[in-house]
Amino acid sequence: MNVFAGVGGGAVGKEAASVGGGALLEVTPHKLAVCHLVQIFAPPPPQAGVAAPALPFPFESVAHHNRLGLFLFALTRSCEDFLEPPLEELLRQLKAVDSLVNGWLCQQLTSTLSVLNSPDDLFNFFDKLRGVLSAPEGANVEDEFLDPNSQLGVFLRCCILSFNTMAFEGVCHLLANLVEYCNSSETSYDFAEDEAFNSEIEMSNFMDANIHVRDAIFDKYSKGYAPESHMGEGSSSLVHASTSLHDFDEGIFKAEDNPDCLRSRWQLEAYLNQQADILEKDPSLVPLNSFNATMSQLQALAPELHRVQFLQYLNALTHDDYIAALDNLHRYFDYSAGMQGIFSRSSSSFQDIIVGKYESALLCLGNLHCYFGHPKKALEAFTEAVRVSQMNNDDSCLAYILGAISNLLSKIGMSSTIGTIGSPYSLGNNIGLGTPLSIQQQLLVLLKRSLKRADTLKLTSLVSFDHLSLAKFDLKHVQRPLVSFGPNAYTKLRTCPADVCKNLRLSSHVLTDFGVDGLSASSDNGSFSTSWLRNLSAASNSWCSSSTKSRKVLTNDFDNFHFHAQPSPIPAAVLQLAGSAYLLRATAWEHYGSAPMVRMNSLVYATCFADAASSSELSLAYVKLIQHLAAFKGYSAAFSALKLAEEKFPSTANSHIQLLKMQLLHERALHRGQLKIAQQICDEFGVLSSSVSGVDIELKTEASLRHARTLLAAKQFSQAANVANSLFSTCYKYNMQVENANVLLLLAEIHKNSDNAVLGLPYALASQSFCKSFNLDLLEASATLTLAELWLALGSTHAKRALSLACQSLPMILGHGGMELRARAHIVLAKCHLSDPKFKVTEDPCSVLDPLNQAVEDLQVLEYHEMAAEAYYLKALVYNNLGKLDEREEAAASFREHTIALENPYNEADSLSY
Amino acid sequence: MASTKETYRVELRAAARQLGERGLYSAAKWAAELLVGIDPDGTPAPSAPMDTPSSSGSAASGGRLLHLHRSGGSSFRRRLRPGGGASEAGTPLGGVSYVSTPIPDDDAFDVGADKYLLAKTYFDCREYRRAAHVLRGQAGRRAVFLRCYALYIAGEKRKEEETIEHEGSLGKSNAVNQELVALERELSTHRRTGAIDSFGLYLYGIVLRDKDCEGLARTVLVESVNSYPWNWSAWLELQSLCTSSDILNNLNLKNHWMKDFFLASAHLELKMHEEALKRYERLMRFFRCSDYIQAQIATVQYSMRDLDEADMIFEELLRTDPFRVDSMDVYSNLLYAKESSTALSFLAHRVFLTDKYRPESCCIIANYYSLKGQHEKSVLYFQRALKLNRKYLSAWTLMGHEFVELKNTPAAIDAYRRAVDINPRDYRAWYGLGQIYEMMGMPFYALYYFRKSSCLQPNDARLWNAMAQCYESDQLQMIEEAIKCYERSANSNDTEGIALHQLAKLHGMLGQSEEAAFYYKKDLERMEVEERQGQNFVEALLFLAKHCRNIGRFEEAELYCTKLLDYTGPEKETAKSILQGLKRAQSGYPSMDIDHFAM
Repeated sequence: MNVFAGVGGGAVGKEAASVGGGALLEVTPHKLAVCHLVQIFAPPPPQAGVAAPALPFPFESVAHHNRLGLFLFALTRSCEDFLEPPLEELLRQLKAVDSLVNGWLCQQLTSTLSVLNSPDDLFNFFDKLRGVLSAPEGANVEDEFLDPNSQLGVFLRCCILSFNTMAFEGVCHLLANLVEYCNSSETSYDFAEDEAFNSEIEMSNFMDANIHVRDAIFDKYSKGYAPESHMGEGSSSLVHASTSLHDFDEGIFKAEDNPDCLRSRWQLEAYLNQQADILEKDPSLVPLNSFNATMSQLQALAPELHRVQFLQYLNALTHDDYIAALDNLHRYFDYSAGMQGIFSRSSSSFQDIIVGKYESALLCLGNLHCYFGHPKKALEAFTEAVRVSQMNNDDSCLAYILGAISNLLSKIGMSSTIGTIGSPYSLGNNIGLGTPLSIQQQLLVLLKRSLKRADTLKLTSLVSFDHLSLAKFDLKHVQRPLVSFGPNAYTKLRTCPADVCKNLRLSSHVLTDFGVDGLSASSDNGSFSTSWLRNLSAASNSWCSSSTKSRKVLTNDFDNFHFHAQPSPIPAAVLQLAGSAYLLRATAWEHYGSAPMVRMNSLVYATCFADAASSSELSLAYVKLIQHLAAFKGYSAAFSALKLAEEKFPSTANSHIQLLKMQLLHERALHRGQLKIAQQICDEFGVLSSSVSGVDIELKTEASLRHARTLLAAKQFSQAANVANSLFSTCYKYNMQVENANVLLLLAEIHKNSDNAVLGLPYALASQSFCKSFNLDLLEASATLTLAELWLALGSTHAKRALSLACQSLPMILGHGGMELRARAHIVLAKCHLSDPKFKVTEDPCSVLDPLNQAVEDLQVLEYHEMAAEAYYLKALVYNNLGKLDEREEAAASFREHTIALENPYNEADSLSY
Repeated sequence: MASTKETYRVELRAAARQLGERGLYSAAKWAAELLVGIDPDGTPAPSAPMDTPSSSGSAASGGRLLHLHRSGGSSFRRRLRPGGGASEAGTPLGGVSYVSTPIPDDDAFDVGADKYLLAKTYFDCREYRRAAHVLRGQAGRRAVFLRCYALYIAGEKRKEEETIEHEGSLGKSNAVNQELVALERELSTHRRTGAIDSFGLYLYGIVLRDKDCEGLARTVLVESVNSYPWNWSAWLELQSLCTSSDILNNLNLKNHWMKDFFLASAHLELKMHEEALKRYERLMRFFRCSDYIQAQIATVQYSMRDLDEADMIFEELLRTDPFRVDSMDVYSNLLYAKESSTALSFLAHRVFLTDKYRPESCCIIANYYSLKGQHEKSVLYFQRALKLNRKYLSAWTLMGHEFVELKNTPAAIDAYRRAVDINPRDYRAWYGLGQIYEMMGMPFYALYYFRKSSCLQPNDARLWNAMAQCYESDQLQMIEEAIKCYERSANSNDTEGIALHQLAKLHGMLGQSEEAAFYYKKDLERMEVEERQGQNFVEALLFLAKHCRNIGRFEEAELYCTKLLDYTGPEKETAKSILQGLKRAQSGYPSMDIDHFAM
């Protein structure tokens, strides 16, 4: 039986080889310790003829043996830090594994290491190690020996090779480091102290002072300094100062005690990748300065590891430090031209995924400008990137750049086509059509082109991304043919939900295809080992702190090794892409107007993809859920949920949550009639967006929409209409048709409320037709409802028509609409009946009272005073007609209550809290 | 005056001896050189003999694609190794009363004198730890200093060795001088108790600098030079810590004559050439024979692109001191810029025989090969120079230029980048980076680098021209930005005359013919002054002729056309036809031009 044969297998070997000539791991004291443990784990096979015991000496059971193996495996793969752990830490972890044999392993380890006193000892140590790997003569297959190709075998071989190529100076350094390494633990491990001490004495006999650096310093200190303080000239203050200084330096020495030994290159890169993932997921977890300090420490230790600079760039980027981000970006690409791979996630070099070279520098530069909201500069960078990658025949980079450009175009509003899109020289040629295209058309062409390229190059992640972008595009834009032949070419001026659906489905294929794409082929990135070790030390810590009694109780302490982290077969990046498909699905349903589907998809996202999701995307899912709550359960429920969400994502750091909070507060203020507060929140909204035109366009639209609605609530109709009109022209300019439907509906409302029903009608109709062509079903229902209201306002002769319109919208509204919309529909229904001259209340009171009661119920929850008052008023009228005086009085009282509440908004102060 | 000189002599004599006794060889060397450099009393000092302010015409620009190649090539070395005596200096202001600083007496004969003698001999034999060991327990200030200094040097030596030993796949690890902690502890105690002399303070200063406590290091060094101003090494350390003129101006320095040397040298390093030159010329009055000052003046003049003047001084220097290597790298840059390969080969041969393992020597030889077009060999020698001193700034930059010649762009970028990381104020390296990226067809990316370099050297027209060329490149076509850059360039004395012409052309392209005419006229004037004629001249004349005709200033148009008639080519024909057109126009509308009738 080969111990751990095949773990990692050939891939590991190839990896180690591919890391490059000089990149063998360097032997460090920590690695010596691990080597020693491997030796215990798989002792050199006995001489032929002697029967091998079933288990090596100290182990009691196979499980125990395997546990050490797993521990060693994790040690060589973990990427928790870039420095190797001190001996103390190693011993603590080892103890957790070693409990069965009463710390025999620890003792063995420390004694072995401290016996290594001279270069010759080291030579012998490695000689012995070699025996572990060589199969004995006449070994059976059943014999237990270490497979040289297993993870541990490769590790051992690398160590031996590295030692063999080491110059004598290197051996001396190793020895010096080893002494420091052992000393660092002597305070906490009593049993090690004696030997370490002895070795120190021996050392000073044997070794040159140069090697035994620390002692040399101390010697000099005591020799050079002590006599001086005996001179007598030193006053007491001098003595005092000297002792305090001494303490201070002890502190320094403590910090320097453990020699700074880097982990192996593989571990370093895994560590950097992990940090990059954290940065991407949630930058608020990483403090800007301390992370920078860590990185510069790493850089001091490994100046040729330029990837560190890329991380510094990422760090600055995510913390909105423009200058530092720009500097670090340029520095990284100057040094490495990206050859250390931003795109390769593991050190294994698949030829097709290294997108190094300067075009990727430009790609990153463009993304940086895009992130900071400099669309023009971003576009310049991207066009240059396109040119350079075409020059260098770098197809995969080109595909990424096209994806990035389409991302930019979709993110940033561009009013006119000509002049903005860089020089026509590159992109125009690229598109290959003589006629000027609108931004949207260019976007579509770019997306399709990128998709095609990515498909042929088998960049599955990019394919998935492009599908997502296409879905986003289809959601909001009507696809018109670029060139239509013949005068009567049929063009269907509607968006196509089926396309959206198809693209979303296709984008999820990344989940099954990711193996092909080298990008995501890094299922084992060391995080599993890291979390294993972390759990182990957590377990051992809790275990150490518990009393010694429990130690005996826990003889079978397998629970200590229970850990939750399972190695996920799917890389996080893939999960993230797949997750965004669900999030986009939720958004799509939001547009199409199905609340339950929004909720479901958001729930799926929040439960299944939360681990891989970045904080901003996860918070978006939360936002959608809370918005759903607000629409269906009222504000109190929404606010309590918001509180929970804020605990998870501090609203100062997370713009989604911050926006949601303001949205909710604004709506509630409008409903309660607290107009000043509503206006205040509107103003805050306006401040959030960037002042550059075209950037943050959605935020700006929402701000002025809310502004108009506030003005409407304040009955300043002409101003509201002005705001809405200018908003309409902005939306038109930036081709935001979906938003236009909303604005038109708002205009209709404004005219309705200002008793200009005739003026309102065309707006409502226009909004309806917009809704139809973009498949915005719920919005369309609400437009129909407004239409009914407008007809109703034109006089009782139109009551019939209004009723039929209202009934037409009811199924959609009752099925998917929120409480406010439902209440409005009910009231309209009742009003239609009441204003119909043929309708007799006494004949069918239920058809009026039922909807009114429903409406009142919903409006109470929403605290919507104005409409509640209206409903109660209608109710009172009906009861009056019916002659039910008590009920009439009750309704009238409620009406009065709401009217008063509306006119005297109470608790202005706390309406910003919740 | 003679008495002043005599005091200087006394002071320097003592200083050279004291510094030498402490193993501060470069400072001692510097003092001794200066001592000899004092104008002998007998001859009446002619008023400022050397200060012929050099502004003799245009400097011949280096015949190389990278016209920024070798300017201001002094690297600053902060290493305090014996033999590596960097030489940069300061300037005395005449007429200012200097504070006289008493020359400290050395420790009187004490019990430890013999041991000190032994330790010093060990030190001279480079057995530093042995020297320190001998002095253990000695409490005299001189002994304490030598012990600490020996330890420091031993630590530095070990550090260098370790740097090489540690070199792994990820680059060198952070070797540190292991003695720093102990030294800092001891010296800070001494400083607090006052049991420290200025030499100890100097050592404390460099220890602090190595530990990155720059602020405190400056304070300590100022203390040191205030109490003992003749230690040039201390001044140099102080200078290396003054990275901006603000810091320099805020130093609390006693007004000793050595301060002038310091200020002049610091000004040179901070590229305040005029100030530096003034100070050096004033110092020349007392130290007329000082090679050091001569070399510094030559360096300043080279930096101000006054090549001929600098050349003369360097030649004279080499005549009096043929085995000199200090500052000779600057001379080689100068010869490179003048493209005199024979002189450069002489120089290279000479320094090669003197000491081939000095970074300056390697740099000179590399320059020679570069001038001969043998760029591979040149790179080889630059690499050798960098092996000897990894922080040799100008070698990194120059090697970058060589790699550009070799079309090895990644290596060139790497070399420039290292120069920039050593000194982020090196505008030539930034410029080089920008040029490479521009050559690679990435003008937008290159802009970042040009912006950096012009930010450091805002009055350099070449940098603005480069940036403008990026903007107006085919790929970017950002004409308005280009115009802004050219305007800056035209305002900062653009000697190559690119800016005006381009400004005119760009304005013409944008259809702003008024502005275009304005700049063409200016360009014409400039060319007439410099007596340069060529295609640009013709172009300007043609445009102006057409423009004046279009706006109805026929006489001016006629003037330009007649000038054009002196040239051959199609422009002549155009001019002729314009002239005919003008005549016709004038005769067609006689009433509009009364002067015409008067003729």
